[in-house]
Amino acid sequence: MNDNVIDRSKDITILEVLDRVLNKGVILTGDIVISVADVDLVYLGVKLMLSSVETMEQLKAGKAVGDKELNG
Amino acid sequence: MMIYAILSVNKDSEKLNVLLGGIKGILGADLSVVNFDNVAVIGSETKRAELMADKSNAIEYAGVIESLAQHFTLLPMRYGSIMESTDAIIQMLGRNYSEIQQNLLKVENMWEFGLKVFCDPEKLKADLSRKSDIPPSCLAEPDPELQHSIYRDWVNKKLKEHRNEEMLLTYVNSVIAEITGYLTGLNAVNKFKKMANTSNIIDAVFLLDKDKKDALIHAVSDLQNQHGGLSFILTGPWPPYNFVDFTVK
Repeated sequence: MNDNVIDRSKDITILEVLDRVLNKGVILTGDIVISVADVDLVYLGVKLMLSSVETMEQLKAGKAVGDKELNG
Repeated sequence: MMIYAILSVNKDSEKLNVLLGGIKGILGADLSVVNFDNVAVIGSETKRAELMADKSNAIEYAGVIESLAQHFTLLPMRYGSIMESTDAIIQMLGRNYSEIQQNLLKVENMWEFGLKVFCDPEKLKADLSRKSDIPPSCLAEPDPELQHSIYRDWVNKKLKEHRNEEMLLTYVNSVIAEITGYLTGLNAVNKFKKMANTSNIIDAVFLLDKDKKDALIHAVSDLQNQHGGLSFILTGPWPPYNFVDFTVK
């Protein structure tokens, strides 16, 4: 098995893990807070919770851009 | 408290305590138990402000659930489930006890598996098209006055595209029927999604007895041998994320 095949399998497995843990499982009715550092960034009902890795990456990118702007 | 899973503990609470001593929650937090009758909620004192939108935290969270699932029947919670206090958790367990029990019973001694089937879409379409060329009688009637009209070419192109889509769907259905045939023998519960995208033609999840794992691997291996042009990727065993169908009240 070459490295590409191993890498691809690893990527698929990570995506499968994230898909399950973010999109499946028992849903808790109520509110949830996902925050970056100590600032509440997203305040959502659980049903509207983050649905993909991309969303998380966007949140992190948004925070990084915000920091840059604040720091001039 | 950040909640990871709801477990069926029955008389295994001592085993659970030993297990929890060896597992850490996300951000290295200690895990704790909230008991209610014969079920238990596993959580950690993770504060809302600490719950980062971070891939590694989500993977750590899944890791805790997976470690617990190796030893207990459980209902995995979605990442980010937080309740304010132990009292709130106990009240929640009381309100949802019947549904929790039903779901725990449904997934007892079962594992979830995922199966994704990939293809090279262009190659598959070409193969299917070759196997079933459109007979001339199915093409649009020639315009008596204009033998090579743009209209006729357009209709024939659309007709061909439509038939290609139909052929692909028929083919996907036939592969699903084959998979289902194997799964029926394993008494598996299954969910299929067709054509998730152009290359991922089947995205399926199964719930089956833990002791049928080897039989499933063997079945998927058989399917792969019969369909050389497709890629079958089996993942698992997973905790039953896709088979817990309820929202906690």
